[in-house]
Amino acid sequence: MRASLFAPILALTTAVAPMLASAQTATQTVTFAVNAINQISATGSPSVTVTTATAGSQPTDATDASSTWAVTTNQTGAKISASIPTAMPAGLTLSVNLVAPAGATSAGVTALGTVAVDLVTSITKVAQSGMTATYHLSATAAAGVVGSGTKVVTYTISGGT
Amino acid sequence: MKLLVIGSALLSVGGGFAHAQTLLVSGSPATMTVTGATAGSQPLTQTENSTTYTVSALIIQPKKVTAQINTNMPAGVTLTVLLVAPSGATSAGRVALDNIARDVVTNITNTLPQARIVEYQLTATVSAGVIPVSTRTVTLTLVNYP
Repeated sequence: MRASLFAPILALTTAVAPMLASAQTATQTVTFAVNAINQISATGSPSVTVTTATAGSQPTDATDASSTWAVTTNQTGAKISASIPTAMPAGLTLSVNLVAPAGATSAGVTALGTVAVDLVTSITKVAQSGMTATYHLSATAAAGVVGSGTKVVTYTISGGT
Repeated sequence: MKLLVIGSALLSVGGGFAHAQTLLVSGSPATMTVTGATAGSQPLTQTENSTTYTVSALIIQPKKVTAQINTNMPAGVTLTVLLVAPSGATSAGRVALDNIARDVVTNITNTLPQARIVEYQLTATVSAGVIPVSTRTVTLTLVNYP
């Protein structure tokens, strides 16, 4: 009789104890990817006007270093190139110099034309902003007086792998 | 005889405990893909919160939920999870997942199942590079608390 009284209690103990301690699990499958990312931006509205010269020399270049640019790429060996939509008037040259982000190489002051030219190369896995873009306008005396004009400079990032 | 009846009743209650503690998920989240960035900044974080989990505990034994993934994330890539806590419990907030079980919700005491949102975030730095489509199994485990 005593055995029959304690048997259910013993059974309860042995049944509940593991349940209190047992772990339950649930699983989810997370699928993810990171695509190639290449972003570039430029800020500022630079203005350059050739106004003077040293007597006996060509007019003095005008420069504007008020602009900055930024880049993000998660690829290797990307480059920045730039072009303008129409050629500069005869005797005028518009150039730009982009400061390179960490680890990349700047081409220095480079004349812009309708064909894209490389400005910064070897850009690898970087996110950097606030880099200076300096514009230069040079004019020969032969250009004469040229009225105000504008050019849209288009920057392109490409070539990363 | 009376003790036998009481013992049987307790055993019956004990059998019910197995149903009283619950951990279920509604499915797997949609694919998360890091695709863009603001120039000059790290890539944009992706968020996914389409799934839920359902949890309950025994009144006599508070529980917690831990989370881990089967394999660590690639270098430069972080997967976090946030489980919204059921009533009375505490969420750990966003927890970065790796192959070690991390507490995500603690002090679970609700005996009635409650469904709450599971929110994942995928973050990648530029140093991670391009990552092809990959998967990780996230295991949520309901264990005793504390």
